[in-house]
Order: sequence, then C-alpha cells, then structure tokens
Amino acid sequence: MGNKKKNLTPAQQKYQGLQQKHEFKRPILKNCLRAFWVGGLICMFGQAVTYFYIYFFNFTEQTAGNPTVATMVFFSMLLTGFGVYDHLGQFAGAGSAVPVTGFGNAVISAAIEHRTEGFVLGVGGNMFKLAGSVILFGVFSAFVVALIKTILITWGVI
Amino acid sequence: MKIKYFCMALLLMTALMGCNQNESNESELALIKKTNPSPLLIKNNSRNEFDLVKSIEKDIESIKELYDVAVVKGKDDTLVAYKVKHLQRFHMKKIEKKMKKMLEEKYPDEKFTVSSDYKIFLEAVKLNEKMKDPNYSEEKASKRLKEIIKLKNEMA
Repeated sequence: MGNKKKNLTPAQQKYQGLQQKHEFKRPILKNCLRAFWVGGLICMFGQAVTYFYIYFFNFTEQTAGNPTVATMVFFSMLLTGFGVYDHLGQFAGAGSAVPVTGFGNAVISAAIEHRTEGFVLGVGGNMFKLAGSVILFGVFSAFVVALIKTILITWGVI
Repeated sequence: MKIKYFCMALLLMTALMGCNQNESNESELALIKKTNPSPLLIKNNSRNEFDLVKSIEKDIESIKELYDVAVVKGKDDTLVAYKVKHLQRFHMKKIEKKMKKMLEEKYPDEKFTVSSDYKIFLEAVKLNEKMKDPNYSEEKASKRLKEIIKLKNEMA
C-alpha cells in the first residue's frame, strides 16, 4: 500500500486526499441491521410455508424442504416481476440476496433485462447469466460431497 | 405512506387473529405448544400392555433434552414421537441414538420407531384424538399407524 502511494505523482496524491475528504462513509452497521431484519423476516416466512406444508399436506420436516424452496423462489420471481423485490434488494442488500429468494430474483431480473433481444437469444440465453453459476456450483459441490460420502461408506468409516 | 399501509395491515391481521377464540382441538396447536398427549394403545387393551406403554412414556419423559412425548403402541410396532428442546436440536441424532439404545435395552421384545419430526408428532396426536371417537375402529387406527411409520421412513 505504502509502495503504491510512493509511485503516485504529487498531483495524484493531492487528488486522492481530496477524494477521501468528500467520500461518503459506508454505513456498515446500518446495512448489517437491515440485512439481518429483512433476511430474518424472509426466513420466518419460509418457516411458515414449511409449517403450512407439514400441517395441510403429507410432508414431514425432512420432505417439506423441497416444496418450501420452490414456493419461496416462485414468490420472489413474482415480486421481481411486479418490481417489488428490487426495492427490497435496494433496502436490505445481502438480506434479500442470500436467502433462496435471491436466486429467483437473479433469474427473473436477467430475463426481464434481456427481453428486448428476443425470447430465445435474449431471455433464454441470458436468463441464467447470474444464477447459472449458483446452479453449477451447487450441483458440483453436491457431487463432490456425495463422492466423499460414498468413499467413506465403502471404507466403513461412517 | 407505504409504511402507514403496512402498519394498518399488520394491525388488522393482529385484530382478526385475536377474534379467533373458538375452542380448538389439541392437534391444531400441537406444532406450537406443549400438548403432552396420553399414551395410546391400539390393540390388546390389557392392563399389562397399558402399564408397559405408560412406563415407556415415563422413561422417555425422563430424558431432559425433550419436552413433549407421544407414544402409540400398535400390534407390532411402537411409535415414539417427541419434541426436542430448541437449543438441544443441534444434538438431535445423538439424542435419537441414545433413546433407541435405552429403549431396546429396556424393552427387548418391542419394535420401536422413534422420530423427532413435527409431522410424526402431529399425526400421533391426531390419531390419539381420533381414537376418542367410538366409531373409529381399531383396524383403521392400525392402518393409520402403519401409514405414519411409512411416512417417517420416507426420505424425499
């Protein structure tokens, strides 16, 4: 860092000082609190959906996870389409992006962004631009974990 | 403005929920509060069998990590459903292992199915309620118990 500063010309150093003077400080604590509350509320809603499936359908705690995730993603997709989730994302940041609802938002927002380029090359081609890496990472890590588990079971460790 | 509408909706929802004061069945609240259902015996209503089920329930209730237990004894299987205290849910597998070992050692002739799943607990409480109805036959209850045990073994 110090080395970098030494390489700067006096004019650049002066400019950096000026920039630092006018730069807004990031409200980290406020952002964390917002993310915590909104993320928590989304998870609370997810828990309510899980209980709904357990109570009214033949799902156990173990099997209710899949329909809950599907429902939450569906809701976030709808809210993205209606333009509500964008405001939520702006307000809560990671609180709305980290839960599974952020995945639905990533898919639909990319689809909306590219809809002018046509349905196949636009929507179809760009829909998974953001979410594709999530799916790939998820599938690949699940494969690796399953492989490790299979090896451990074969060896009789677990 | 939006916050005003949100607060109004929240108030309205709270008020409407407060109005719902009908007498409800135990099973309706089984997921939220402690119900402590009495042990259920589907077949062989003999004194010995009843004492056995009572003693199973007492043994399980003595485990300090649990707070609500439902025991249903059918012809072959005995279903034990329980709720684990919130912070103890990290040790759920360990508790299940410990309980199974304890039950198998103490009651070697019984075949146990133990579950900490809320759904299984809820169904056990519902079955208990249904058995109070004199029109609900033992065959139906046995069939339902088998279905619950099958549901417990389902993975996905």
